[in-house]
Amino acid sequence: MTTVPTSQTSAHQRGLIARIEPFMGVLGPLVMIFMIAAFMGVFEPARYFRLSNMNQILLDAALYMPMAMAMTFVITQRGIDLSIGSVAALSAIIVAFLMKQYGFPAWVCVFIALGLGGVMGLINGLVITRLKVPDLIGTLAMDLVYRGFALVLAKGLVLARFPDLITEIGRGQMFGILPTPVVIGLITMVGGYFLLRNTYFGRYTIAIGSNPEASEMTGVSVDRHKVYAYTLMGAMAALAGMMLLGKLNAVQATSAPYFNLHVIAAVVVGGTSLFGGRPSIVGSLAGVLLLSMMINALVTLRIEFFWQSVASGVVIILSVAAYAWLQKKDRDGGGSIGAALANPDNKKILILALIFAGILAVLFAIGAGLATPPGASG
Amino acid sequence: MMAEGKPVISMRGIRKRFGGVVALDGVDLDAYAGEVLAIVGDNGAGKSTLIKILTGVYQPSNGHIELDGQRFTMADHSDAIANGIDAVYQNLAIADHLTPAQNLFLGTELTRKFLGLSILDNRRMDREATEVLRSRLGVELRDMNVPTESLSGGQRQAVAIARAVRHKDLRVLVMDEPTAALGPQETARTLGLIKALRDQGLAVIVISHSLDDVFEISDRVHVQRRGTCAGVVKTANVTVEDVLGLITGANAAAA
Repeated sequence: MTTVPTSQTSAHQRGLIARIEPFMGVLGPLVMIFMIAAFMGVFEPARYFRLSNMNQILLDAALYMPMAMAMTFVITQRGIDLSIGSVAALSAIIVAFLMKQYGFPAWVCVFIALGLGGVMGLINGLVITRLKVPDLIGTLAMDLVYRGFALVLAKGLVLARFPDLITEIGRGQMFGILPTPVVIGLITMVGGYFLLRNTYFGRYTIAIGSNPEASEMTGVSVDRHKVYAYTLMGAMAALAGMMLLGKLNAVQATSAPYFNLHVIAAVVVGGTSLFGGRPSIVGSLAGVLLLSMMINALVTLRIEFFWQSVASGVVIILSVAAYAWLQKKDRDGGGSIGAALANPDNKKILILALIFAGILAVLFAIGAGLATPPGASG
Repeated sequence: MMAEGKPVISMRGIRKRFGGVVALDGVDLDAYAGEVLAIVGDNGAGKSTLIKILTGVYQPSNGHIELDGQRFTMADHSDAIANGIDAVYQNLAIADHLTPAQNLFLGTELTRKFLGLSILDNRRMDREATEVLRSRLGVELRDMNVPTESLSGGQRQAVAIARAVRHKDLRVLVMDEPTAALGPQETARTLGLIKALRDQGLAVIVISHSLDDVFEISDRVHVQRRGTCAGVVKTANVTVEDVLGLITGANAAAA
């Protein structure tokens, strides 16, 4: 028999960056978490590191853990789900009505909510795989549909005051010290880790995201496993809806508006690749914690609420750009601004930017010159 | 090791039409155990169609296939695998983010019972994958826990081949352009793998554009030309010029 010697020199000589790359999903958020902690340690140590505030951060993060876990699967399969906020709101509103108007017992309602969320996710999956609507458009459209149903059902009503079991899920304490939502969130994370490592679903999720054609050729049912991922996503969104319902002890049709991007941001920051095939459940957990710490830090610093949106967006861009840079094999010659400007394409973009700046400057000058005292025009 | 005894698999009078186009017109092909049969020919000569029929991806319009002298038909590729015929495609069909072991068992994962549920038996798959790579292909990867994308082209090829030969009852292995994307060193290793498989008694059918490779590994050469077989020659008895002549139609069959 012929013996084929092996060499892996090419794979092993790329230095430090290559060696830490597999752990970037966890390392990246950890570094950022550390930076936030250090920053807050300097500026607001007393209020930020209070035990009650730590508890608040965990409670906030717990709400996003189930969804971040499921979204890790969806994104790893090269999908995306933009409907989770509406799924959470609609399932919470339906069971809120069941409890308030029809007197359903709370524990049944929790499972009904999970089932409803699962069905909504299943519908998303069928829209994408059977009707061949791209993930982005399909879930965006279903987001409108689910939000619309929530508005139709609840109108402008705020449903409030639910049984103890519901508030326990949202803000209770187990054994006096462990916040129940954190326990629920961590259980879903551990479950997700197990699903990913030890089941057909997890294995095929990576295979589908990595190479859909190859998966199909080797007999993996690509469409079926996509439907599974969206169903899991829907059920986890409904779970988050129940946790939110319990946390606020109230729900309305416009609840949970920011779930989509917050969860996607947490997953992407955690190192799960938007291009598929590279999941990191631990990274998603770290990403959720990071975003909660960051938003809490903004609140602690008394920065206006609306800046949160800016901060989340910047964090998403920075982390995706950082991963893209890490993926780049050739990092030589990209350094100097002078070299970048020598590129004719970049020159044209610079000229375009300058033209826009010029036009805006002129328009502002005209506007300022012709300005009349405000109020005079009505 | 030569064409003594009965062929493992024979194709007889294979004809394949796609609409009005006749891609194959009455092609015969025999493959023997412990032999490498090379299929060469110009683009559009019908090589790919021929092996797609052999691996059950296409069904012939006329003609039939015999396995051990028994006629049989295949509805799709999985029928071919069930009958001990498998193929390694040019694009390898590998999921780059999975480890070699995970790729080897992709679609046919091993499971174990855990609390009454069947879950993936990752440790056993790792062990068996290492074993298949070592004992069948003589390949030992330094690290089995890396994504397949970090392996060299030849190692990835080995993983794709190992997926086919993992089945104990595999008898016919079809390889489509196995060396097309490889450098000289990796090509030499892959040709080594093919010889190792031949020595283990497999019937190996290789499509190749590289006559150098064909002359290094094959025992016989099947030349396709314009949808028909232009000749089958024993590699030892001919020169590169003879085969080129058959491919281009410059001279008649020399066998």
